[in-house]
Amino acid sequence: MIEIQNLVKRYGNLLALDHLNLNIKEGEVFGLLGPNGSGKTTAINCMLALLKYDKGSITIMGKPMHPDSYDLKKDIGVVMQDVAVFDQMTVRENIDYFCGLYIREKAKRRQLVEEAIRFVGLEDYTKVRPKKLSGGLQRRLNIACGIAHRPKLIILDEPTVAVDPQSRNKILEGILELNRQGSTIIYTSHYMEEVEQICSRIAIIDHGRVLASGTKEELKNMIKTGETITIEAVALEQTHLEEIRALPHVFDVSYQEQKLVIRCSRARHNLVCVLNYLQGEDIAFGKVFSELPTLNDVFLEITGKALRD
Amino acid sequence: MHLLKYRILQTVRRGSVMFWALAFPIILGTFFYISFGSGDMGEDMEMIPVAVALDGGESVYAETFLEFLDSMDGDILRVTPMTGEEAREALLADEVAGIFHCKETPSLTVAGSGIRPSILKSLMDSYDKNAAMFALIAQEHPEDMGRAAAAMSQWREMTEDVGVKGRTMDPNVTYFFALIAYACLSGAFLGVQSSVDTQANLSALGARRSITPTHKLLLTLTDMLALFFIHFCNVLILTAYIRFVLGIDLGSDMPSIVLVEWMGSMIGISLGILLGSVSRLALGMKMGLCVLATLFPGFLAGLMFGQMKDVIEHHCPLVNRINPAAVLSDAFYSISVYNDGERLARSVGILGVMSVAMVLVSYLAVRRVRYDSI
Repeated sequence: MIEIQNLVKRYGNLLALDHLNLNIKEGEVFGLLGPNGSGKTTAINCMLALLKYDKGSITIMGKPMHPDSYDLKKDIGVVMQDVAVFDQMTVRENIDYFCGLYIREKAKRRQLVEEAIRFVGLEDYTKVRPKKLSGGLQRRLNIACGIAHRPKLIILDEPTVAVDPQSRNKILEGILELNRQGSTIIYTSHYMEEVEQICSRIAIIDHGRVLASGTKEELKNMIKTGETITIEAVALEQTHLEEIRALPHVFDVSYQEQKLVIRCSRARHNLVCVLNYLQGEDIAFGKVFSELPTLNDVFLEITGKALRD
Repeated sequence: MHLLKYRILQTVRRGSVMFWALAFPIILGTFFYISFGSGDMGEDMEMIPVAVALDGGESVYAETFLEFLDSMDGDILRVTPMTGEEAREALLADEVAGIFHCKETPSLTVAGSGIRPSILKSLMDSYDKNAAMFALIAQEHPEDMGRAAAAMSQWREMTEDVGVKGRTMDPNVTYFFALIAYACLSGAFLGVQSSVDTQANLSALGARRSITPTHKLLLTLTDMLALFFIHFCNVLILTAYIRFVLGIDLGSDMPSIVLVEWMGSMIGISLGILLGSVSRLALGMKMGLCVLATLFPGFLAGLMFGQMKDVIEHHCPLVNRINPAAVLSDAFYSISVYNDGERLARSVGILGVMSVAMVLVSYLAVRRVRYDSI
């Protein structure tokens, strides 16, 4: 569906995209995961022929993308990072206007507009102007304006920024529904939970480069961490930490603000081993959590810093 | 029609835009009306009270000067003979606007500046020029003195103030034409605002519109048509307000005035779209450029300083041919002063060609643009 090869984009001396390579297949929900400033939006804007780039090539549906590639643009829907609607028009008028930039036939457009309103759950707000909507509802309107024409390819650039949990869930469910209806989705975010929840394939990018890509399982298998155990414990001494680090499969231990975090490689009974040690040393402990590796762990291991830094 | 309808809707609902496009010129027109004297516009001016200082011992030339003043009495002037002392007191008490002294060389005393002292000075200058001319004729062609005097006596009949298609024009009406011309050009602000919604580097809306399959030329033309429709309506409303609410007589050739307003609205919008499209500046800078692009041509066209257009015409006439404000002003003068259809047609033609050229350049500037940064 989309092939990006060796894409280089500079803003003056700043290298925003550093030989970026991506291959997005038809029918998948592809996640671009990276911290703020990693180059996600720049990559999207280059794909859409909004930005000039210094080197590389971009093809969409087998054709090179140019500013006047109108035949390609009719099959693409974009949900911008910023809410891009007219404040002077109502919810319905906005969706109808933007849908009208793709669909000329009035009857078909009317039907698509109604479907889009239902899809994002804005039935009760059709005559309301955007300024009077909450941030979450504005985001839903933003999505409706981008997808009302039923595009084959939908690009969503951080559509859930500053959105309440209820709207966020609604948006994520909607994206999966669009994918089930046949659209290929590109989803950029710095929220790893969202990407993990909906994306079938993920590329982790930082400093304009793809650090790793694959399914979430493939990504997690790339790293050493198999389990992260977090325990609330009081008065641990340095000797205790060294002894815990010496336990089988444990490769990293940290202790801050009475929170003990133990990272283990993939093995059975890691938690049992740790708890046995604490009981054997008569160390009091409170809450205990055991988590399988997350994309944040993947990012942490690859870059040495957490995704939210 | 779909795009046009929504573009009109969202522009009309922008309160601040409509204030500057419609309410501001109306308010300005109202201030003009108040400043120039409500109710007096388009009517005859009030007579100016003047004193003629007669202290006895006037020269032989004084009789001629008194005859000149007599001819103005009851028309422009209300002349009251007084002694020199009485005249001074009357001037200080603001009972008269000036004192004419009937000495060998007649002179004028006024107590300040303004329209009335200016008119009196013009009369004095006019008399001085004629006196000098008669002195020259008497010296070089004394036999023609009778013919010269007869010609001078017919002067008033030959210089009747005649305006649009035979109707008397008030010179103050030109201020209202200048206001309409300014209103037409201020459509540039609407045009610049519209370009923000088209360019991806200026707004998220611009980015969203840039990635749709609607052709850039169609988007540009639709925007232009919608804005033109709104702006032309605004100018018509302003004209109706001036004509029917303020009661200013704009002349009887309203169809020609509306035609010029049509072209003026088009040039204003086109200028704004051009300014908005060709540069990669931020919106604030573009708006600043727009202020410059409407006020400076207006200045060159004499909308602020009446003689400027003549100065340009004398030194660099080409500027007056390509300056939209000057062409617009010339079109209004063709209707209100010259009553010259051919000149009007030329001005309208130039405005049309310039509008089309500006829109084409705008389209070429945005049609395949990719930005360095967004």
